[in-house]
Amino acid sequence: MLFTESEAKKLTEKILSYVKADDASASVGSDKLSHLRFANNNFLTSGSRLGRSANVTVWIDGKRGSASRNDVDDESLKSMVEEAQKIAQNAPPDREYMPTLGKQTYKSTGGYVEATANLSLNDRAKSVSNIIAEFEKNKVIGAGFHSARSQAGASATKNGNFEFERSTNVSLSVTSRTPDGTSSGYFLRNHFDIAKLDTKRIASESIKKAMQGRDARTIDPGSYTVILEPQAVADIVGNLSFGFNARNAEEGRSVYSAPGGKTRLGEKIFDERIMIYSDPWHPELPGSQSAQGGIPAQKIYMVRNGVLENLVYNRFWAKQKEKQPTPGPVNTIFETSGEKSRIEDMIRSTKRGILVTRFWYIRSTDPRTASSTGLTRDGVWLIEDGKIAYPVKNFRFNQSVTQMLAPGNVEMIGVSERVGGSGGGSGASLLPALKLKSFNFTSQSEAV
Amino acid sequence: MTFSRRDFIKTAGVAFGTAAVLPSWVYDAQAATEYYFDVNKNSIADAVLATAKRLGASYADIRINRYRLEAVSTRERQIQNLSAGQNFGFGVRVLVNGTWGFAASPIVTADEAQRVTREAIDIAKANARFQRKKIELVPTPKVEAKWRTPIEKDPFEVPAEEKAALLLKINEAALAVQGINFVNSSMAWVNEQKYLATSDGVKVEQYLIRGNPSFSATAVNRASGDFQAVNSLREAQSIGYEYMTKYDWPAEAREAAEHAVMKLKAPSVKPGKYDLILHPSHLFLTIHESVGHSTELDRAMLWEANYAGTSFLTPDKTGKLQFGSKIVNFVADRTQKFGLATVGYDDEGVPGQEWHIVKDGVFVDWQTTRDTAQLVGHDKSYGCLHADSWGSVPFPRMPNLSLEPAKEDVSEEDLIAGVENGIMIHGRGSYSIDQQRYNFQFGGQTFWEIKNGKKTGMLRDVAYQSRTTDFWGACDGLGGRSTYDIPGSFNDGKGEPGQSNAVSHGCPTARFRQINVLNTASSPNSGDMEDHD
Repeated sequence: MLFTESEAKKLTEKILSYVKADDASASVGSDKLSHLRFANNNFLTSGSRLGRSANVTVWIDGKRGSASRNDVDDESLKSMVEEAQKIAQNAPPDREYMPTLGKQTYKSTGGYVEATANLSLNDRAKSVSNIIAEFEKNKVIGAGFHSARSQAGASATKNGNFEFERSTNVSLSVTSRTPDGTSSGYFLRNHFDIAKLDTKRIASESIKKAMQGRDARTIDPGSYTVILEPQAVADIVGNLSFGFNARNAEEGRSVYSAPGGKTRLGEKIFDERIMIYSDPWHPELPGSQSAQGGIPAQKIYMVRNGVLENLVYNRFWAKQKEKQPTPGPVNTIFETSGEKSRIEDMIRSTKRGILVTRFWYIRSTDPRTASSTGLTRDGVWLIEDGKIAYPVKNFRFNQSVTQMLAPGNVEMIGVSERVGGSGGGSGASLLPALKLKSFNFTSQSEAV
Repeated sequence: MTFSRRDFIKTAGVAFGTAAVLPSWVYDAQAATEYYFDVNKNSIADAVLATAKRLGASYADIRINRYRLEAVSTRERQIQNLSAGQNFGFGVRVLVNGTWGFAASPIVTADEAQRVTREAIDIAKANARFQRKKIELVPTPKVEAKWRTPIEKDPFEVPAEEKAALLLKINEAALAVQGINFVNSSMAWVNEQKYLATSDGVKVEQYLIRGNPSFSATAVNRASGDFQAVNSLREAQSIGYEYMTKYDWPAEAREAAEHAVMKLKAPSVKPGKYDLILHPSHLFLTIHESVGHSTELDRAMLWEANYAGTSFLTPDKTGKLQFGSKIVNFVADRTQKFGLATVGYDDEGVPGQEWHIVKDGVFVDWQTTRDTAQLVGHDKSYGCLHADSWGSVPFPRMPNLSLEPAKEDVSEEDLIAGVENGIMIHGRGSYSIDQQRYNFQFGGQTFWEIKNGKKTGMLRDVAYQSRTTDFWGACDGLGGRSTYDIPGSFNDGKGEPGQSNAVSHGCPTARFRQINVLNTASSPNSGDMEDHD
């Protein structure tokens, strides 16, 4: 049911054939989403949705108009183009207009697996039933969400560019709660290849956390050494790559701005072992083949050895600043250039600290310092003398991400693995566990 | 004449009975493109419901919806985006052996509807083999009706260039203030044309309109590397384009710009306990997060445990728990004028209605749907089922949930007069709350110091932390109707797959005693940001 490359090409050609404007870009997309939600050890809702989209942006005398439809018959596409042209004819000038791209060369990233796109309803039902059976066996109350999505789409320009791309993603998240409501555990993983989604591990990790989190004690908030599991790192810095906006920095309204209208490019902002980069062809985390503005994506370092190496220039801002537009990021890979530590070693080396499973409801409090607030959730433990001492109740934190990763505050870095952000969505990053010298918990949260 | 912020007219909705004459909008060519009406909705629906029944469904519904969206955005003197879109499709929901199944498609034809119905049945049957406890529905009356959002001017009849021109005028008003460097402004309009038919005798058509205008003015001190922004205080509403013409947006933009410049130079707040005076432009979001989400029954039943979370409220606390002080009354209301969640009927045909959630400070009732109501012993739903698209599974979503004003005419000045050492907060800022809706932290847009009953000057870097019942228990003053407004949130996220809901929270200006205030600019690792609980 997804568009093939030839179908998508025909559709974009058709859209562009209707265009009378000076310049135009067109895109079409198709997707299939299949999902199953369970809660209270029971199946809750489950469904399937076929989606389609068509979009066009046109420029007439440097004025811009956009329109979209989700019907792709000739009449719909014609009316879409006419609507966009009508908007453009009467619009104020688009002062940031950049001519659409001519022919580009893209290298496929390989993030599509047929088996993920065609998952079996019966196999999924059985797999989730097995997870519920584990809940029942361990006397916990479980909830979770299984979701598989496949996408295929194309974009084209009046100046001769065309690209087609398709991808798949399957994810499973599981929450286990003890019947008395005093402990909760969570685990999430996703992958583009359904064969690599370890559903048993996801369920057992969630159940284990709930069982081990019972009888949580209250300890005072304050500044603690913390060990953040990869999920917690995903929640607080998962999409860090996408925050390196050059225009905001140069306009003086970003944590990467420096006084006097300058930026912090070239500055060692982070611990010197920290490498943050985007790689469209990473085998565990294929990204899109095209970066912002449709330019072919490339492997690009945002942070190398702790130094801010790149900010992201879009095509317009790059032209203003006489720079090349940035061919990324299209994903976030956070690695250490130094020794990789296991979480067990991090715990063993900690005199007194807190082990955090996951963060929740993170919101910016001060963009000048990249500070945010949020809460721990689904498993927090006190570490004493190199061992997990006991579970503790949740905290609210107020913390600057840049200070958190600054030189002197990062003690140990783990092996990077593919983790999805637990705030929803199907995105993923490659992230390590981190041991941080200081992390600021500001109040207690009784929530479980 | 400027649009009154205080306009608060309750309406029982404009419902049309079974035999009512169709309203003119149904035939309005501007209201929908012609092929909406090429589809014989009733014929498709009747066939789908018959097929579902034949294949074993005890209940089935079909929603055939068209969504029109228009978005305009600008920065300074430039247009960033002018776009219009349409999205059309249908979704079929079936209940087979007490197990839900759902399927949806953008191809609205009789053949595709049959295929999709079979797919929904297949999904339900695949899962029903392993279902532990059957889903049950409370009954709802049969109804055939049409309903539309009461508006004066359809925003989709206003040319995009007129909208762009107004936004650029807003930007100019802000840029005219010395010290303002950047302005962003936008407006988004949504039109939902919804058709619902169920196997329980519901056939409802609705035409909903809502708008979301906003702007933000930023002042930058390049020498010091400091910057501050102030956003618009007005929020999204279910309203026509009259929202843009009767209210003086450029005047508010100019004021916001002046406040952004002022905020850059304002003293940073000293952490501690303060009395807070919260303006409706701020308080609505605190209500949303702490009251709206905690009283969703699906959360209390652990249905959201894996994502949005559960609730500190449980059914055994109904009618017993002291949620707030005795002056606190919250009413859920899907008929409230300008309310973003105001409808004639929900997505399973239950009529819009109003009911108390908190009465005289006591938590008394829940937000319910047909598949949750019986879990707390109710024999009917309050009508809180909603899907954000034809392609989404409808599930429990928040109705408008509003704080009732004081019966007397209490003014903002009256509330401030009773404060020795306090802060008044306008606008939505940073907000965060735990998964059981208990511990929260909220910022705002502008913060005004109050000393000895008078506003003295602006502060910055303010956020407050509290717990839901402590906070509402500390409410000792409510403004009267003259302080009332009904701001709303355009995109409230919940559910898996994630869905968006638009919802409003009417409220007066209100006073809260001795709430913990943080300084959000303190160095997070310096120890300045101590806990004040």
